Amino acid sequence: MNPVFNMESATLSPVALFLQADWVVKLVMLGLVLASIWTWAIILSFSARVRRTRKEMAKFEREFWKTDDIDAFHRAKADSDLPSARVFAAGVQEWRRSTAGKSIDRDGTRERLATSMGAAVALEVETLSDRLNILATVGSVAPFVGLFGTVWGIMRSFTSIAQAQNSSLAVVAPGIAEALFATAIGLFAAIPAVIAYNRFSHGVNKVEAGLNRFADGFHTTLSRQLDDER
Amino acid sequence: MERGEKIALGAAVAGHVVLFGLLSVGFLATPNPEQLTAKPIEVSLAEDVALEQASPNPTAEAAPSVAPEQGAPEDAAAPEPAPPEPAPEPAPQPAPAPPQPRPEPAPRAARPAPAPVPAPKPKPQPRPTPAAEPKPAPTKPAPKAAPAKPAQTAPARPAATKGSGKSPTATASRPRGSRLGDDFLKGLSDRDTPSRTEAAPAAKMGAQAAADIGSAILRQVQPCANRQVTPGPGAERIRVAINLKLNRDGSLAARPRVVGHSGVDGDNERYVARVDDLAIATFVGCSPLRGLPEELYDVQNGWSSFTLRYKLPG
Repeated sequence: MNPVFNMESATLSPVALFLQADWVVKLVMLGLVLASIWTWAIILSFSARVRRTRKEMAKFEREFWKTDDIDAFHRAKADSDLPSARVFAAGVQEWRRSTAGKSIDRDGTRERLATSMGAAVALEVETLSDRLNILATVGSVAPFVGLFGTVWGIMRSFTSIAQAQNSSLAVVAPGIAEALFATAIGLFAAIPAVIAYNRFSHGVNKVEAGLNRFADGFHTTLSRQLDDER
Repeated sequence: MERGEKIALGAAVAGHVVLFGLLSVGFLATPNPEQLTAKPIEVSLAEDVALEQASPNPTAEAAPSVAPEQGAPEDAAAPEPAPPEPAPEPAPQPAPAPPQPRPEPAPRAARPAPAPVPAPKPKPQPRPTPAAEPKPAPTKPAPKAAPAKPAQTAPARPAATKGSGKSPTATASRPRGSRLGDDFLKGLSDRDTPSRTEAAPAAKMGAQAAADIGSAILRQVQPCANRQVTPGPGAERIRVAINLKLNRDGSLAARPRVVGHSGVDGDNERYVARVDDLAIATFVGCSPLRGLPEELYDVQNGWSSFTLRYKLPG
């Protein structure tokens, strides 16, 4: 073993603590490290995505309210995967379907427009907040998993104490340290997950509110257009 | 999984690897606490410090029974005139006795004239009349009666006979120039007579000697004590009173017996049995004990059965 990881030295070396541990505790530690990695991957990707989405949505809405020709604007943004653009596309699509026939049911059209755009908003929010449940799960479960590893490791070290007939600190301490390391990793994974979950659900709520605002505004525009239609 | 998520996953993995790597090389390692510079000193308190009766050296030479001799009266003739005065009357005879030292008894003078010998005799035994008789006594006193006889023996062994103390007559007679009376220390010899009695055993082994022996034993078992592992925190506070039954050669006559404990509290009471075993193992492992004072073996409180206090090192 690398001398850096020697067990005698009272370092916080995670590798040494991991290698000393029981296999159950090892499993727990491994799972928690993976959870932590996944949590951070979600945090990094999600924060970048939400920030970009909100910036582009603001830009999209500015352009939308400035444009005069909705059809031309729709053609220009047809392949955009921005949530605002999708809600806009759903509204335009429903508008075209509803106004394609001879007679126009204004109230029915308004209702269908609102429903389709609300569905689009809900779909976008759902896809956006897809990963947040993972953060919630990690944040709430990781401490317990780590605690389980700790309890297991301490039980094991007590058994070894009983076998060694010796309870000096040198015998007790490594087992308890490695067991506590499981809780440490659990908290290490859970704390960022909980913070990120709260922050991102707030971000998703803001995106959803923005989408709803945009959908309402577009619905208002289309509804006014409907009045002018015949 | 889209591209942004892949990038984020890679970044997260890289971040974790860097973090654990830093921790592994001691980035946040706690420095070892400083070693205590001064070793604690173990102090053992002795309960009884007063010295107890120890036997004096019984083989010391006895004091001589007499004062140093100063020789015979210098002038045998000088006392001669004196006897004539006492001669007529027996009563004043004791009077010449005190002046005995005054005339230097020169042995040479005395010997040619054994006659004066009876004269200073303090005892009433010699008749006053015979005392007067020896005066002309260039003649041998031999034919004389019993009173003269001691005088005869006296010249033969002027110095040696005196202390023999076998016959009262021998002690009684000769002037020796000593200020002490002839019956001084009656029954003792002036020779060096070494006492034949055995050295009286010490009355009791004193506390000082007991402490010395205890220290010696603990010193000898220290290697074994150092091999014992403290069973748990606080166990080193337990002091075990352990009784050793020892043979004269220092080997154990019986398995050591624990006779008491001190320093047991709530923290370490569960280690008591274990500490007892360790203490017994320590003394068994490092016996026989050597260098213990032989003369203190079987006296009262001697180390044939020795109780001492032991605690685990550390």
